[in-house]
Order: sequence, then structure tokens, then C-alpha cells
Amino acid sequence: MIEVEALTKRYGSTTAVDGLTFAARPGTVTGFLGPNGAGKSTTMRVVVGLERATSGATRVDGRRYADLPAPLHAVGVMLDARSVHPGRTAYKHLLAMAQTHGIGKARVREVIAQTGLEPAAQRRAGTFSLGMGQRLGIAGALLGDPATLILDEPVNGLDPDGVLWIRRLVRELAAEGRTVLLSSHLMYELALCADRVVIIGRGRLLADASVQEIVDRSERAGTVRVRTTDPETLARELLALGAQVVPQTGGALEVTGTTVDDVGAAARRCGATVLELGTQTGSLEEAYLQLTGDAVEYRTADTLGGAR
Amino acid sequence: MTPVATGASVAARVARGAPARPGVTFARALAAEWTKLTSVAAHAWLALGTVVAAAGTAFGLGMFVRPDDGRSGSWVVVSGFVLAQLGFLVLGSLVATSEYTTGTARTTFVAVPRRLPVLGAQVLVTAGAALLTALVALGASYLATTSARAGDAPALDLSVPGTARALLGFVVVSAAVALLGLGLGALLRRPADALVVGVVLVVFGDYVLTMFPGPVADTVRALLPSSGARLLQDDAALAGLDAVTRGPQLGAWGGGAVLAAWVLVLLGAAAYRLRRHDVR
Amino acid sequence: MTATTTTPVPVTTRTASGPTFGRVVASEWTKLASLRSPWWTAAVTVLVSLLITYLSAQASSVDPVFHPLSDVNTGLLLGQLGPLVLGVLVGAGEFRTGAFRSTFTVVPRRWPVLAAQTVVVGGFGLLLGVAVAVAGVLGVVPAAMARDVPVDLGADGTPGVLLGMVLYVAGLALLGFALGALLRRTVPALLTAFVLVLILPIVLMLADDPYGGSMSAADVRVTPLGTIGVLLPGTGGQLMTMPASNGPIDGSPDLGPVGGGLVLAAWVLAFLVAAAVRLRSRDVR
Repeated sequence: MIEVEALTKRYGSTTAVDGLTFAARPGTVTGFLGPNGAGKSTTMRVVVGLERATSGATRVDGRRYADLPAPLHAVGVMLDARSVHPGRTAYKHLLAMAQTHGIGKARVREVIAQTGLEPAAQRRAGTFSLGMGQRLGIAGALLGDPATLILDEPVNGLDPDGVLWIRRLVRELAAEGRTVLLSSHLMYELALCADRVVIIGRGRLLADASVQEIVDRSERAGTVRVRTTDPETLARELLALGAQVVPQTGGALEVTGTTVDDVGAAARRCGATVLELGTQTGSLEEAYLQLTGDAVEYRTADTLGGAR
Repeated sequence: MTPVATGASVAARVARGAPARPGVTFARALAAEWTKLTSVAAHAWLALGTVVAAAGTAFGLGMFVRPDDGRSGSWVVVSGFVLAQLGFLVLGSLVATSEYTTGTARTTFVAVPRRLPVLGAQVLVTAGAALLTALVALGASYLATTSARAGDAPALDLSVPGTARALLGFVVVSAAVALLGLGLGALLRRPADALVVGVVLVVFGDYVLTMFPGPVADTVRALLPSSGARLLQDDAALAGLDAVTRGPQLGAWGGGAVLAAWVLVLLGAAAYRLRRHDVR
Repeated sequence: MTATTTTPVPVTTRTASGPTFGRVVASEWTKLASLRSPWWTAAVTVLVSLLITYLSAQASSVDPVFHPLSDVNTGLLLGQLGPLVLGVLVGAGEFRTGAFRSTFTVVPRRWPVLAAQTVVVGGFGLLLGVAVAVAGVLGVVPAAMARDVPVDLGADGTPGVLLGMVLYVAGLALLGFALGALLRRTVPALLTAFVLVLILPIVLMLADDPYGGSMSAADVRVTPLGTIGVLLPGTGGQLMTMPASNGPIDGSPDLGPVGGGLVLAAWVLAFLVAAAVRLRSRDVR
């Protein structure tokens, strides 16, 4: 269980995290979303004691991280895959980690097998590809068989097999009752494996709800899309009903403020033939972009030619 | 669907692979640091290079010693120290700075959030590795100077006062210089900075100050870590040094005390920084 | 949302040429000047040189015969560390930070990069050398004024000494750069630089006896160790910073300032060639 309470972290004049409060609970996968530079990595580093909070508190299993008697058994962390000496083999890196807690070589070999690193275990970490480096980081997080896992962009650089593996692993760990906090930029992936999502922007909390609630908040959720042979007549009919209608290309209409059934009935009244009728579902990506629209730190200019 | 285990029961269960008494202890941190030191090939090459530098310098200097030079047998054997000490300095500073240059510190201090046990373990591991390397270097220097002793160089005679101390000094001061490097590396966190400051403190500052003889310069020289090298001098050479200086006359043990003080102060400052500052 | 169709617009190349040498030099200067460490190292070097020159002039001003300008180069004793470190950091920096990947993609023939970096480091070194020479002169002025001795920059071979100081600083920066570019890692390059320039002369001094046991200055002779010593880049280069009238360093052949400069230049050239060879024939990872 991870608790973050009114956490504020300042570096000189920059405020990286500003009064952030949320909790990641056991048995759930909590996604941590935010634009680049929003403060996700900073928050994670404060939780594991690498950095000191300017104000506020973070607790793991009800205690400060530094007060945990056996940190690796309580929390498994993967912050940055480049936290390994390039001259050391993967095996030795994990072994040194294990030795701090008296964890045996058998467990090291177990975790190497679990993350698919067996062929590379005796190779120097400097020769690893990005994906192998990620696997090594995850191996380190799993080493102590921890009750809580904190993973910063775990699927970064993994091939599709690896992405699937992480999704399954993370869901399994949560099903065992562990707490999983993971940050990602892959929205559809996060939507598939997370139960709850915490969205931050410019260091501040923007949303903290279940995936479904956030998806439902996106503007397109609940919109009805209808394509008929006579869009103008239908549009007038729907407007008379009090709905909002936005014309689309190809004669389709996007209707808000009414149900699918009502739109279907209105089309019949007009005598138009319905070619396409359905409800739009929102997506996590859309909801996220709408929520964080103002909070993006590093924004690219529109593409040339005005294409969107 | 199987019922989901509650968080409390997950936290309370025994973790896979955990030992009978789980948790971080100093002995465990020590084992981990030793693994880290011996698992990087570059450290072994550095140690080997240090041994070669010591023996090679002793061999080279031994060729040019004449019987009326006033040099003792112990000088011939330990003369390689002037070059080898750089190797010990770099060894110590690498142990500390590679944590930050490679980002390994993120792994290390997540596993041991109290941090100071890691520094303590690094001190023991560095001292141990340095002592081992220095013993080998001393032996190699002795062997390398056998031909010099067959010729013009004086034999190694333990009855000459201060000889035993000089030989012991070679080993102990090497370890102390390595610990100085460790302290500088842990404090400054960048290898270039640690190396530059270390070289000035340990050998070069002393050399520059000899160009300006005078009471102020000689006092500063006496208070630099380089005066620890007096432990490698036999009694006759020390008497010569003390006669010429216009600063405090330290003798061998005084010089050793100055070096020890520097090591303690730097390690203390490093410990303070480690506790207070963020690990990026 | 209305969708607009876009037709692909052909990209016109306005300039047909790629990285010319002049452009590479400009780019390398931008890279160097945008870092903090060269400026910081330069500032510390100038300050340290100023301080040491000032102290040394004060110390020798108590002598009855006081030539303030003979102390002008004393700051370089410790100050020589600065350009050496600066050069190493620039030379190894490309590889340490991984910037070489983008650099060698932009300039695939590679050697122009090394040449441009050499020009830039040499230029920066010359600027630093001028600053150090000025600091040296400023450092002796207070003592000279206190003793009412005029500071005449034209006399006693001083222009040669000042020029030698500028060239020595630039030469050390280039030596450090060449070692950094050759070895590609900061610690080994710094270690080699320190051993060659600072430590080996001390080691040789320990063994050498140019007087052959006698006390008279007339009995000085050239020794093998003295010869080796003056052929080292640091000691050789330092001959540039001393007036020719000083004569040779005890135990070494009389190379003079020009000879000493050539020794340093030879070492720099050798390491640069080695770095260039390494650049052409090996993979860059």
C-alpha cells in the first residue's frame, strides 16, 4: 500500500510536485499518468527515499520507506533501466542487490528465469539492448518478492511479447493481493491492465478514479453516431428534440443529448434509411488529453499544412 | 474466481527467497559491496596496473642508485609509491563515483535506504582491496629491485632504524590514500573532480609548495595529506627532512596523523552529504 | 471534426552542400562554449595563477635584487592543471555523454570533427593562455609597486616568456584533448595526463643526480634521466615559459624555449594521430 499525502517537492524555484495526495491500494493496479515533466518520476523517487520531500509525506505499508526493516521485501522498484554498471554482468548486479538482504542465489536465478534473462545473465550489462535492460530492471524489482511494486514505464522498449508479458504479470501480481503502481505513456495498454488511474499535470492531481469513470468523462463518451440517406432532415428532427448535432463527412451526424433508441426512432419518422447507428465510447487517451490539455509542459507546434 | 488476498495478508506473508531473518544488516551490506567491487574487470586491471607501476618505478629508480647516495635499502623498495599512490587514489574514488556515473546509486540506496551502512561497507571493502594490492606491490617491488641490490643499491636491512616502519608504511599509507579517494569520490560524486583534488592534495600540492620554501609554505605542506608519505621514510631520511623544514617538525607518526585526520574529515563530510542530499 | 486532405508537398533543398569544415568548426565551438565546465575550469585556472603569482612575487620582493617579471610564470606551476583537465573533459566528453552518436551521423567522415575540435580547443586554449599571462603580469604588479621597481614588459626576454606561457597553456589543453579523444574515458585519460605531465618529472627527480656528487655548479652534466625528463611533454613545454638566458634545466641538454615547444608539439601530434587512427578504423558504439 502506498500513501502520498500533500507531497510537495521543489528544486530551487521549480516546483516538480505540488500538494499531491493519492493512494495505491493492495489488490489493484494503479496507473500513474501525466505529461512529460509532470512529476511522476519525482513522486516515485520520493516514495522510495531517494529524494527528500520539501513538505508532505509518503508512506509504504503505513511507514516511512527508510523505517522499513527489509525494504526489498516490502517494495520492488524499477525507476530507470540505466541504473546498472555497464561493466557488471546481470547476474552479479542482481546478486549484489540480493546480498544486501541475505537473499540467496537460488532466488536470483529464479528471478532471472522469470524475466527471460537466462541467455544474457552472464553478459555485461553494457551490451544489453533497451528491452533487456528493462527486463533486468524488472528482475530487480521482483527479487525480494515484494508486497508492493513501483514501476516507471516498464514497457518502454519491450517487444510485443514483452508488453503482453508485463500486462499479465502485473495483473497476476495484483490478483495475489499486491499493490502495483505503474506509470506509462501507452494509454491503451494502461487501460487494459490498470484498475484505477491517477492523472497528474504540472505536479498537481488532475484525476484519481477508476479507468471506467475516467473514460466516461471524455467528451465523446455517450455520443451517438448515425449515418443515413437523408442527414439534413434527420438533423432538423433531432434539433427539434433538443439534441446537439454535429455534421461529419460522408453524411454522418454526431448527436449528443439523446439516446441511441431515440435517434433510431427519429430516423424512422423522417423516412431516412439508417446505414450506421451506434454509441461512441470514450477512450482513456482522449480523456487524458482533455484533462491534461492545459497542463502540458512541453508542447509541440501544430504540424505543417494545418493537418490534424 | 478465487478470492483476492488482502493487502495485509500479502504484506505479512514470508517472501520467496527471504532468509530466516530478513532485512538489511551491516554484514550483508559488506558482502554486497565486496561483490560489486570484484565484479568489475576494470578494478582488477587498475590493481594490476598499480602493482606494475610500483614495481616498475622501483626497478627503474633502483638502477640509478649509487652507494654514496645516502639512500637506504628501504627507500629502494618503497620508491615506487610515488607513482603507485595514484592507482590507490583512483581505486577509492571509483568505488564511490561509479555509483553516481552509472546510476547504480538508485539501486543501492533503494535496497539500503539508511545509506550510511553502504558507505561504511565501502570503507572496509576499499581498505581491504587496497591493503591486498599494496602487499602484492611491495613484494613485487622487492623482487624487481633484486638486481639493483646485487649491484650498487644498499640491501634491505631491518636493523636500520625505521626500515620496518617504512615497509609497513607503504602498505598502510596506500590504503589511507585509497580511503582519501573514496571520501573525495563520495563527497564530490564526479570522477574528474575527485581525481584533480586528490592529486593536488596527495602529491602535487606538496611539490608546488617546495618551490617556495618558507615558514608558511612549509606549514601548509605539513598539514596536507601528502605528509602521510613520511611514514615511508626511514629515520635518517626523516631527520634530514625535519632539519630542512621551516614549518612544524612532524616526524613519521605526525605525518600519519595528518593523513588520518584528512581521511576522517572527508569521510565524515561524505557521510553528511549522503544522508542529507537527494540521490539523483 | 472536419478532416482536411493534404497533398504531399515536395521538400526543396535550398542549400545543396552539407557539413563543410568551416561549419563543423562553428558547430564544435558552439558545443564547447555551451558547456559549463570549460568556463569554470578556465576561471579557476586564472584565479589560481593570479594568486600564486601574487604570493610568489611578495615572497621574492624581500630579496635585495628583485626582478618582478621573473615571477610572472610561477602561477603556471599549479595552473597547468586547468588546461590539461579542460582538454581531457572536452576530448572524452563526446564519448562519455554519447553525443558522438549524433555528431558522427551528421559528419560521417569523422576526421573533420576531430580536426575541428582540435582547432576549437586550441583556440580556447590560446584565449585561456592570454588570460593566464595577463594574470601573471597583474600578479607581480603590487609587489613591484611596493618596491618601486618599474614593470617593463619589453625587457629581459619577457615578451618571449609571455608568448611561451600562452603557447604552453594552449599546448596542454591540446595534449589533454588528444588523450581524451584517444582513450575516450575521462578517468584513464586524466590519469595518463597527470602521470605524464605532473608525476613522472617528480619520479625522475628522485633518482637523478646531475651534479655527480659534487657541490659545484660547474660540474653539472647531462644525465640520461635528465634527458628523458626534458623530453616529457610537461617539462619540455615548460621551457617555453622560461627565458632562454636561464639555460638548461640541471642535467638536461639545452633545448631552449623553441626546442621545448617542439617537444610538447610532438607529443600532441602523436596522440592526435593515434586518436584519428582509432576514429577511422574502429566501430563507434
